[in-house]
Amino acid sequence: MPNRRASRNAYYFFVLEKMPELRRRGLPVTRVADAIPFCSSDWGLLREEEKEKYAEMAREWKATQGKVPSPPGKQKPVPTTLLESVNQLPSEQTQNVSLPDVSSLSLKSDQAVLGSFFYFLNIFSHGELPPHCEQRFLPCEIGCIKYSLQEGTVAEFHRFIDPGDVPRGFRFHCQAASDASHKIPISNFHSGDDYATVLQNLYRFISPNQSSWPPVYCKSDDRYRVNWCLKHMAKKLETRQELEILTVEDLVVGIYQQKLHKEPSKTWVRSLLDVSMWDYSSNTRCKWHEKNDILFCALAVCKKIAYCISNSLGTLFGIPLTEAHVPLQDYEASNSVNPKMVVLDAGRFQKLRVDSPPFSNSSHQEQRSNMSTCDYPSGVKTTGKTSNVRGRGITRLLESISNSSGNFQKLRNCETPLSPYMPQKDECKSFSSLS
Amino acid sequence: MTGRARARARGLCRSPESGKLGQSQASSWNHPTVCDSEASASTDLLGTDRIPQRLKGGVSAGDGAGNTLFQRGGKTWNSFLELGINTREKLAHVRDCKTGSSGAPVKLVTNLFNLGLPREWHLFQYYVVFDPDLASKRLRIALLYSHSKFLKKAKVFDGTMLFLSEKLEEKVTQLSGETQKGIYVTITITLISELPSSSPMCIQFFNIIFKKILRKLSMYRIGRNFYSPSDPVEIPQHKLSLWPGFAISVSQFENKLMFTANVTHKVLRNETVLEFMTDLYNRKDKSHFIETCEKELLGCIVLTRYNNRTYRIDDIDWSVKPTDAFQKRDGTKITYFDYYKQQYDINLSDLSQPMLVSQLKSKGTDSGEVRIAHLVPELCFLTGLSKRVTSDFRLMKDLATETHLNPIRRQQRLSRLADNIQRNTEARFELETWGLQFGCQVSLTGRVVPSEKILMQDSICQPMSAADWSRDMQHCKILGAQPLNNWLIVCSHRNEDAAESLLSCLRRVSGPIGFLVGKPKIIKVQENTAAFIRAIQQHVNPDIQLVMCVLPSNRKDCYDSIKRFLSLDHPVPSQCVLARTLSRQGMMMSIATKIAMQVVCKLGGELWAVEIPLKSLMVVGIDVGREARTGGRSVVGFVASSNSRITRWFSRCILQSAKTDIADCLKVCMKGALNKWYKCNHGFPARIIVYRDGVGDGQLQTIVDYEVPQLLSSLRDSTSSYSPKMSVIVVRKSCMPRFFTEMNRTLQNPPLGTVIDSEATRPEWYDFYLISQGAYQGTVTPTYYNVIYDDNGLKPDHMQRLTYKLCHLYYNWPGLIKIPAPCQYAHKLTFLVGQSILREPSVELADCLFYL
Repeated sequence: MPNRRASRNAYYFFVLEKMPELRRRGLPVTRVADAIPFCSSDWGLLREEEKEKYAEMAREWKATQGKVPSPPGKQKPVPTTLLESVNQLPSEQTQNVSLPDVSSLSLKSDQAVLGSFFYFLNIFSHGELPPHCEQRFLPCEIGCIKYSLQEGTVAEFHRFIDPGDVPRGFRFHCQAASDASHKIPISNFHSGDDYATVLQNLYRFISPNQSSWPPVYCKSDDRYRVNWCLKHMAKKLETRQELEILTVEDLVVGIYQQKLHKEPSKTWVRSLLDVSMWDYSSNTRCKWHEKNDILFCALAVCKKIAYCISNSLGTLFGIPLTEAHVPLQDYEASNSVNPKMVVLDAGRFQKLRVDSPPFSNSSHQEQRSNMSTCDYPSGVKTTGKTSNVRGRGITRLLESISNSSGNFQKLRNCETPLSPYMPQKDECKSFSSLS
Repeated sequence: MTGRARARARGLCRSPESGKLGQSQASSWNHPTVCDSEASASTDLLGTDRIPQRLKGGVSAGDGAGNTLFQRGGKTWNSFLELGINTREKLAHVRDCKTGSSGAPVKLVTNLFNLGLPREWHLFQYYVVFDPDLASKRLRIALLYSHSKFLKKAKVFDGTMLFLSEKLEEKVTQLSGETQKGIYVTITITLISELPSSSPMCIQFFNIIFKKILRKLSMYRIGRNFYSPSDPVEIPQHKLSLWPGFAISVSQFENKLMFTANVTHKVLRNETVLEFMTDLYNRKDKSHFIETCEKELLGCIVLTRYNNRTYRIDDIDWSVKPTDAFQKRDGTKITYFDYYKQQYDINLSDLSQPMLVSQLKSKGTDSGEVRIAHLVPELCFLTGLSKRVTSDFRLMKDLATETHLNPIRRQQRLSRLADNIQRNTEARFELETWGLQFGCQVSLTGRVVPSEKILMQDSICQPMSAADWSRDMQHCKILGAQPLNNWLIVCSHRNEDAAESLLSCLRRVSGPIGFLVGKPKIIKVQENTAAFIRAIQQHVNPDIQLVMCVLPSNRKDCYDSIKRFLSLDHPVPSQCVLARTLSRQGMMMSIATKIAMQVVCKLGGELWAVEIPLKSLMVVGIDVGREARTGGRSVVGFVASSNSRITRWFSRCILQSAKTDIADCLKVCMKGALNKWYKCNHGFPARIIVYRDGVGDGQLQTIVDYEVPQLLSSLRDSTSSYSPKMSVIVVRKSCMPRFFTEMNRTLQNPPLGTVIDSEATRPEWYDFYLISQGAYQGTVTPTYYNVIYDDNGLKPDHMQRLTYKLCHLYYNWPGLIKIPAPCQYAHKLTFLVGQSILREPSVELADCLFYL
C-alpha cells in the first residue's frame, strides 16, 4: 500500500477527495503527492467546520493505526472496534487507486461471489448539525436488506427511530432538513422505536446468533452518518458498536475486479449506483413513504442499491433476474427499449439529417465523437458510458466480450480516438496561476 | 412548464424591485450581523457609538493596505475588495476613451449625489499604545476622547487605531491621562499613514460616516439597509406595514466621489407572534396546536421593535414563561417580565405565553458554542412574506403599488433624504467635521442606441415596441423548425379533455408559424407520480422526439422525476404543462402559441434572429448557480452559440463539488463549444465574446485571475495556428445607480437601449450600463457590464450595440430581456439542473434548448 509510512492528516484526506475532480480537469495526478500543490488554495478557502470533516477522517485513520489520537476538546470518540483488525480503513480504500481490499469478502471464485450475502444499510437523520455540536445527527429511520447476487434481496429490515429531543435551538434546522428530504415529522410521530429496541432488532437481523458479524455496506456519501448514528445508538444501549461499515462503491469495484481483472472507474461506479429509474417502483419504499408518496426512504435507498447491482452485475454473471433482484415490471418495459438505444440514437440523428437540411451540418460520426468528448472530457474511462441507460451499456459491452475478458483493454483503446482531448499540460499552468 | 415560463418571462420585464420583497427577508437572514446583543442576556452594552467596534476586526490586523480591513462586517464590505482591481489599464484600445458616440443623446437624472472634499484632503491613521496597557477597550476610548487635544476634532478610535482628519503636529505624540481609579497612563500616538480620499480605506471610511449620519436621521439599520420606522406606509387591508428606507454607498466614480442612495422597503406584518398563535389556536384543531404552530412559525424572521433587531425563530420553548427568571450576564437573576419592564418600560400582558428561541450568530468564527436568545412572542413582529401570502395576487398587487415606485415618487424620496441630510444639524456637523460637503444630484447624458429589426424566415419586422413583439410576429414564419412527428402526450384521466384541446390548438397555431405537428400518441395514466414515470419509461423509445406531460398539480417531485428521467436515463426533450394553465379557455390560443415556440426550441429549431455584423463570432454565456439542497454543489451552466447568426446553441452544465461560485471546468466546456462550432461551420470562430453572470460581490479578482486564464488556455491549444480574439464581460443584474429621464416635464424611465458609459462608471474599469428591459411598473434597473478582458479591440460603440442585440435573442420571450440571451439560457440551465436534475444532463441534449 502506498503512503503507509507517512502520517495522514486532514489535508491528505481533503486532497484525496479532490483527486477525481482534478483528474476530470485533466491534471496529471496519479498520487496524492501530485495533487497536493493544486489543492492548497481550495483548502485555504474551507471554513473551520468544513475542515473538521477531514480532521475527523484523519483521526479515524490514526485510530486504526493503533496510535492514540488526541482529540483535543473534540467530543467525538473515535471508531475503533473491529476496524483495528482490518488492515485498512474503508475510506482509504474508497480513495485509493490501488486494489481495494476485497479479501475480507473471501471472494475466491465466481460461485463464492454469487452465493455470499451482503447487507446494505442506511440510516436517515433529521438533518446534520454543525460540527461544534455534540450531537451531529438525529437518527429517525433505518433500513437494511440482506442480498446476494444469486438470490437477490432475501430479507429486509425497516424501522422508524425515535430521535429523542432536538438540541435546543436546532428545531428549525432539523425540520427544514427533513422537509427537504424524507419528511418524517420531528414531533408527534408515534411509530418510532427507541434506540435500544431498534439496535437490538438490527443486530438480530444481521446476525441472528450474534457470533460473527458480516460486513455491512452503505454508499460512501452516507458512511459517516451511518457510522455516527450506529455509534450513538450503541452508546445508549451501552454496548460496543460491532458492525463494520464498508462502502458499496468498493464492493462493486471489487466484484468487477474479481470478474474482469480490470478496475472500473470510481465515477462510473458512482453513476451506476445513482439512478432514478426505480424511484417510484412498487415495493421499494417503506409503507409510510409509499403511502405519502415521498421519494426519500432509508429502505428504498438500500433496495435501489440492490437493483443497481443486480442490473449491472447480474448480466455479467449471467444470473436470471427475478422479482427479488429488480422490480420486473419496470425492468421489462425499459428492457424492450434498450436494444435500440445501444445504437446510440444514430437513427434519430440521421433521420433528422434527411428530414431537415438546415440541421445537416453534422454527420453521425461527429455527433458521436462529440458526445464522448463532452461526457468524459479528459478521455479517461469511457467504458460503458457510451450508452445512456443506467449502466446497461457496460453490461452489453461486457457481454459481447465476456468470452474474451482480456480484450477489455482493446475496448478502451478503441474509445480513445473518439475523445481528442487528452489531459494536457497547459491546464496545470492555468490552474497554478490561481495560487 | 408554461406557467413557470410565463412567470419567469414576466419577471424579466417587470421592474426588478419585485424581487426585493422576498429578498428583504432573505437578506436579513443571511446577514444577521445586527443581532449582536440579545434580549435575554443583559443589553447594558447598548451601542452608543458603534463605529469603533465596527472598525475593530480588521484594523488591528491591517496596516493600511486596505484590503483586509473590516473583516467583521462580512459581505457588507466585500464590494470594497474590488476597489483595487484595475482591468482597464491592460486594455489598450480603451485606455484613453471608453465612451461610445453613436445613438441619440438623452439627458438623465441619477440617484447619485456629489460629495465635495477640500483639495489635498487626507485621512490620517495613527497607532495608539497605552502604557501601562489597558485591557478594557472602553476605558481606552474614554481616556483618549476625554483628552483636551481631541476635543472638538473629528476622530474615530477603535482602541488601537485612531483616524483623524487633521494632522497632529508631530509624527509621534506623547500624551498622558489618569483613569478614575487613579492610574497614571502614558499614551503614545504614532502616525502610520496618510490616506488620499480615493484610497479604498477612505472609501470605506466615508461609508461608515454616512451610516452614522443615517442613524442620526433616526433610521435603523436592518440587514445592510437603513429604514425609518417613524413614517411607515400602512396597508391595513392586509395587515402589513412598510418601512421606507435606503441602501446607501459612497464610492469613487469616473471623476469624483459620489454618494448613492437607493430606495428600499422593509415589509412588516402588523401581527405579533402571539396574535398569530392565538389566531391559530382558535382556528385550527386544538389537539395538534403545538405541531401546526411549530410548522408555521419555525424559520420565520421576526422583528422586535423595542430594539429594531431581527431574529429567526429556531425553536419554541413551551416550558418557559415570562414569569420565569434568567441569568443576566453579570450573574444576577431577573424574570423576563421585570427585565422588559426595566430595560424598555414594556409591560407584558400575557404571562403564560411560551417563549421563542433564536440562535444567535456567534461573533467570532472560532467560538463554537451556540448562543441562544429567548424572545417574547408578544413583542415579536413577523416580517417578510410567507409563501401563502406571496401567492395572494391582490395582496401582491397592493404591495407593488407601494414598493415599485415610479421615477417621480422615487425622486421625491431621494430629494427628501438629501434635504434631511443637509438640514439635520447633527448630520451636517458630522459631515463638516470631516470636511465633506454634500452636493447636488448628478445628471448626465446617456445615449439611446438604434432599435433592432427582427429577422424572420420570409420577412423582416420592425417591432412597435422592443419590449414585446409577440403581436408583430403573429403572422410571420419562424426561421426553422423540425417537424414534430413522433411524440407522446402523457396526461391523467381527468385531464384528458384539456390535453385534447391543447393538442388541437397546438396544431392550429403551429401551421402559420411554419412548424409541422403530427399526431401524438396519447397515454392516459392515474394521477400520481409513479404512474407518470412508469408510463414514460414504458413508452419512450429512441424515435420519440418529445414527451409532453400534462401535470395535474405543480408538485415539485413529479416534475423533478420526469425531468430527471428524460434528461439522464432517456435523453428526450420534454415539455410539462400544468393542467390548471389549460383550464382558462380564453387564453388557450396564446398559451398554445407559447408552447409551440418552446417546443420548437426544445427540438433544436430557431425562432428569429437579429442582424449580426460580425461574421464568425461566437458568444458564450456562463452562469453559476447552486444546487437546491443546502450546502450543495455549485452548478456551472455554459451556453455557446454554434452558428454565426447566433440562433443555435450548444449547452453544457457541470456540477462541481467546490462550494465557491467560481467555475473551474471552463476549459472542457469551451473546447466542447469550439468543437461543435468547427463541426457546424467547418472552421473555428475568429472572435469569442464571453458574458459571465452570477459573479458575487468581491469575486471580480478571482474571475480575472482564474477564469479568464482557463478560457484563454482552452483556445491556445486547440490547434497550434489558431488564435481567436476573446473578450470577457462580467454582467451584473443588480447595481446601485438608477437613471430617470425628464420628458414632458415629468420623470420617466429611460427609453429601451439607453447606454450610460460616463460619470456613473468607474475610472479603472471598461464598463457601461445598458437598459434593455421595459418596466411597466416602477423604475427600471440598469444592467451593468464590465469588460474585464478584451483583445477583440471592438470599439465601445460596437461592444455596447452587440450586447444590446444579444438581449433580443432569448426565445422564451418575444421581446427584450434584461441580460444577453446566452446568460439567460445559462441561467435557465443551471436552474433546471440545480433544482430538478441534480446531475449533468446527457450530452445528447446539448444541441437543443431542452431547459427552456
